[in-house]
Amino acid sequence: MKQLLRIEWLKIKHYAAFWWMLGIVLFTYPAINLLFQNIYQNITSRKDMAGNAAKFLLGNPFAFPDAWHSIAYFSSWFLLVPAILIIMLITNEYHYKTHRQNIIDGWTRNQFITAKLIDVVIIALMVTIVYTIVAAILGFYYSDAINTQRWSEELYFIPLFFLMTFAQLSIAFFIGYLIKKAFIALAVFFFYMLIVENLIKVYFAYKSIPLNAYLPFEISNRLIPRPNFLGKIDEAANKAYLDSLAAIQWHVIYTLIFTAIIWWICYRLFKKADI
Amino acid sequence: MENILTTTNISKSYGPVKALNNLNIEVPKGSIFGILGPNGSGKTTTLSILLDVLKPDTGTYSWFNNPNDIYYRKKIGTLLETPNFYHYLSAKDNLKITEAISGRGNEADIDKAIAMVGLHTRKHDKFSTYSLGMKQRLAIGAALLGNADVLVLDEPTNGLDPVGIVEIRNLIKQLGEQGKTIIMASHLLDEVEKVCTHFCILKHGNLLISGPVKEILRNEDILVIETENMAALQQILTTLPHFLELKQQKSFCEIYFKSNSISPAEFNAYCFNNGIVLSHLEIKTKSLEEKFFELTEN
Repeated sequence: MKQLLRIEWLKIKHYAAFWWMLGIVLFTYPAINLLFQNIYQNITSRKDMAGNAAKFLLGNPFAFPDAWHSIAYFSSWFLLVPAILIIMLITNEYHYKTHRQNIIDGWTRNQFITAKLIDVVIIALMVTIVYTIVAAILGFYYSDAINTQRWSEELYFIPLFFLMTFAQLSIAFFIGYLIKKAFIALAVFFFYMLIVENLIKVYFAYKSIPLNAYLPFEISNRLIPRPNFLGKIDEAANKAYLDSLAAIQWHVIYTLIFTAIIWWICYRLFKKADI
Repeated sequence: MENILTTTNISKSYGPVKALNNLNIEVPKGSIFGILGPNGSGKTTTLSILLDVLKPDTGTYSWFNNPNDIYYRKKIGTLLETPNFYHYLSAKDNLKITEAISGRGNEADIDKAIAMVGLHTRKHDKFSTYSLGMKQRLAIGAALLGNADVLVLDEPTNGLDPVGIVEIRNLIKQLGEQGKTIIMASHLLDEVEKVCTHFCILKHGNLLISGPVKEILRNEDILVIETENMAALQQILTTLPHFLELKQQKSFCEIYFKSNSISPAEFNAYCFNNGIVLSHLEIKTKSLEEKFFELTEN
């Protein structure tokens, strides 16, 4: 395992796109959260009634313990950047035919897929670390004394964020692995993630088909439900929010099963394929 | 002699096209084994199967007399088809990956392998900046890394200039003299004849012949002769027990006998005793090219 990790590091460490991705993640995660924080600040800093009402209704999503949740939620929209990297890492192997060369040089088929699995885990970990640092810094910065004492209450959003990231990057890997061509794979990934799955959700809702929770991205999206911004005035929204929190434990299981199936298929196909 | 590689009834089809049909070959230890054949005959398919890049439909193979060794490829220096490297990495960084995966060699060996193929001045340059010939040299360097006892080289002189071709041929010969087993696919007959100790010929996925170069090319004796008394010669030839064929050329003729059945001196004496005077007599070895066309035509 350590040897596989070392070899993947040899491949990645001089790969410019990897460092660009890391730089963009390091930039976008604080930036997007600061942007939302700024919007929140603008609404709630007004001295009039509306400002006070907004402050009362919204609470402070950037203070502990809610910071872990809100920042995970905002950050989860930007998985596109590491997903591009994952797709590049696997399609590069096809493009340069190095997936063949790795086998010719002595890896078994399983070792090749395991090495890629390690890539996805490590990139998911790196993204999670960036999220954790951003949430910790913003959380401590925007918390008053009482909130600061509650900093550890919702730490479970860190492993949930990791699992969601890993699951969705695994889908990106799977698409890159099956399609082989970088640009087509990227197009399919974005098109499905941003358009097709949302259209299916609208269709399922329209037809009252209760399968929305089981769509590939939605399975893991529901690990980090939308924060309860309007729960204090909307009872139905509040109930929906509490239901979504209760469903997280099930979505952990669904996500694990779904992701395990993806990787099982990858192992299985690669073991038997002519490459 | 101990075999490094044995294949048993390997077959492979691509849809309706039968790329390999029940291939059985044995590669003795220490041999330079040429796999010959026209384009599309199954040479690269054979090597790809033997290196686990392609899966055979049926049949088995065994390297180092151990069919259960899943890490056998680590012990084989390989150049298969095109050079496959990470374009954004330098020659040295690419060979570091080869070294890490195969476990062959160390840091010093990487420099040595790069120097052997004449790329030492460019070893820190990205692979994407290399010419076709340099890429091919690096691929040969990767195969040589760590002094593997067995080398598999698919068209090793592809893309090289004439000097490069001679260099690589000499290198292969030297490696053979060091006792390494080299399996080399080529469509260049001259290359195989100059370098190989054993060879096989494939055509449309069928094995036409396989064995030591000396035996295959000398299983017939050919005498080239000139005489003014052709009619008499034709008459006496039929009485010789090992006579196979007479080919009449413009000013001379070629007479084919079974291998080692008659010496030029015996033949000369026999003709003379029958009143035929030969004005020219020469023994000829069949070239690989002739053998190849003889087998692959039709």
